[in-house]
Amino acid sequence: MQSTNELKAKLRELLASDLMLQIKPEEIADDLPLFGDGLALDSVDALQLVVTLDKNFGLKIQDAEVAKVVLKNINSIAHAIEQLPPSKLQ
Amino acid sequence: MTTDSRLDVLVNKAGFHSDSLLGMMKPETWRGVLDVNLDGVFHGCQSALPLMIQQRYGRIVNISSLSAWLAPAGQTNYAAAKAGVLALTQSLAKEVARLGVTVNAICPGYIETAATRSMEASQRKRLEASIPMRRFGRPEEIAAAVRFLACPDASYITGSALKIDGGIL
Repeated sequence: MQSTNELKAKLRELLASDLMLQIKPEEIADDLPLFGDGLALDSVDALQLVVTLDKNFGLKIQDAEVAKVVLKNINSIAHAIEQLPPSKLQ
Repeated sequence: MTTDSRLDVLVNKAGFHSDSLLGMMKPETWRGVLDVNLDGVFHGCQSALPLMIQQRYGRIVNISSLSAWLAPAGQTNYAAAKAGVLALTQSLAKEVARLGVTVNAICPGYIETAATRSMEASQRKRLEASIPMRRFGRPEEIAAAVRFLACPDASYITGSALKIDGGIL
């Protein structure tokens, strides 16, 4: 079981690599908003992010309302992954 | 489908028509045609996209119809569904363009199929006369276009609708 900090580091790396961001992983603060002011991701990035989180962690985000809550920042994504039952963790 | 699988090509081709004038069309006839011809494309695309986005590569080819453009009388349901497929194709193409997935449509005209083979000779003759090439298309002539749009060479084509109709439009 990885620590929360390890999980957040992995999330930062995945964000930078899978979304092809022009930013280094360490520049993404845990509370930096992913959308709007902040990282300024758009809806296509969100779609990509949903697929990435499912593939890497088994986290399924199936509607926009849940996405709004979970995809706020690194903290909220890490929190959602840590809430997954152990059987769902990949 | 496991996450280790690949899915490079999706061809949404399931379709049927059930013609009737709108004034006499049963709601279930409308719904049935929309369900298969339009909703089917939605479900196919939604199922395939996660894997295609994950692999950053995908080719989706939707089979629309010349009816989307001609909208003949008696086909309000079918023409609306097939025009819907064109709009879905263009919209989805924009959504996934930068994720390596292309989405295109093909609009066949009159093609040699079980349905056209069972036509009355006089009706067939009349239709053939309306086609500049004076013949129905062959299934392999549609397949060739699907194969092209599905191959890596078609990498910069997305959101397009290719009419294959012997020159009708």
